[in-house]
Amino acid sequence: MANFYLTKEMAWDVFKTGAVHRGERSEGPRFKVGDLVRTKNQHPMGHTRLPRYARGKVGTIERYQGCFIFADSRAALKGDDPQPIYRVRFKHQELWGNSYPYKDSLSLDIYEDYLEPDPIERAEI
Amino acid sequence: MSHDHEHSGPPDERALRIKAIESLLIEKGIIDEAAVDELVDIFEHRIGPKNGAKVVARAWVDPDYKARLLENGTAAIAELGFSGVQGEEMTVIENTATVHNMVVCTLCSCYPWPTLGLPPSWYKSAPYRSRVVIEPREVLSEFGYDIPDDKEVRVWDSNAELRYLVLPQRPTGTEGWSEEQLAEIVTRDAMIGTNVVPSPDQTHGASL
Amino acid sequence: MNGVHDMGGMQGFGPIEIDQGYAPFHSDWERRVHGVLCIFAINGYFNFDDSRYAIERMGNAEYLTTPYYEHWLAGLEIVAIEKGVLTKEEIEARKEELREKGEPLYG
Repeated sequence: MANFYLTKEMAWDVFKTGAVHRGERSEGPRFKVGDLVRTKNQHPMGHTRLPRYARGKVGTIERYQGCFIFADSRAALKGDDPQPIYRVRFKHQELWGNSYPYKDSLSLDIYEDYLEPDPIERAEI
Repeated sequence: MSHDHEHSGPPDERALRIKAIESLLIEKGIIDEAAVDELVDIFEHRIGPKNGAKVVARAWVDPDYKARLLENGTAAIAELGFSGVQGEEMTVIENTATVHNMVVCTLCSCYPWPTLGLPPSWYKSAPYRSRVVIEPREVLSEFGYDIPDDKEVRVWDSNAELRYLVLPQRPTGTEGWSEEQLAEIVTRDAMIGTNVVPSPDQTHGASL
Repeated sequence: MNGVHDMGGMQGFGPIEIDQGYAPFHSDWERRVHGVLCIFAINGYFNFDDSRYAIERMGNAEYLTTPYYEHWLAGLEIVAIEKGVLTKEEIEARKEELREKGEPLYG
């Protein structure tokens, strides 16, 4: 691993520049804005950025965020595996049950790997 | 500060542990001690919610800037000179008469450092992280904002590398104010979305 | 992993203790933990996904009963050891040296 050596003089510029979180892959995004999607019900032993409360839930793709380094893969030392992130909106009733009394909602940034390939079929079961 | 533990007596176990790690990393040529000092100074003194308040105030007085800010948050924030670690992918979300946005990181403590600095303790705490997604209205009420039943709450759990800043509604009673005056009344909590910016009529005499 | 760090929707943690003002650190050891972890990452020895995963493995009970920067400290130690930069033994040995010296650690 080629390492860097941050000095006092470099610190402010390096902070202001920030890190790179995006990556590239040849294949385009599989889903489009407006699609109904379902997150996988999965419980990996490793690092994941899909919170438990949002697993196996149906939401709507609100925005394509671009292609990003996959946190789960990088933390598992399996490479960057860049892939699309979608902003997915879930209704509070979907997450917390039909008795939730208000028209509230929640947005998550969902890596493509977290989504079911057949969301509609699963949603109708 | 009563939080400080620099009293006499046996050294704090945590201070020993970080001093041990830091001194070993310095000796091995892996990190530079002066760079640690500098970075700590950056986090304590050169970033913080005053930066975000300038972004909000500019958006309140300049409709073209606001449009750019909502379209591409990272670029518009950089126009004011704010950028960097944990602010590489910024999205600004607008509170309106019908929608109130609030931001959390339920998995850890993700937060937009260049515009808000490091998060307050409550943002990193179990009560906030656990409750805001399931009972956002009770959380808002604890912060002092009783949201109307017919206003929609949108919660943003910043679980990936995108970071969120709330653009609060400009309060009434600030007509004709300068950008600098407006920046003075924008609070950190309003930019996280756990409160609103109160009208100066309601906070007369309060310290902002 | 299904650890206690994944807190969204859990119940029973009580009211939020709201602190005002901008005071990111409450003692020197917290300042050093933050600075050292960030520079260790900037210098390329690990990334924030590694340190988040390390924190998730510090143990559920310990996670809930220690303050925030102890999570970072535990994560820092785990990644430093896993990346082969430090050993647990040398960290413990250095701690003992520092304890015996009895000099002020910071400030």
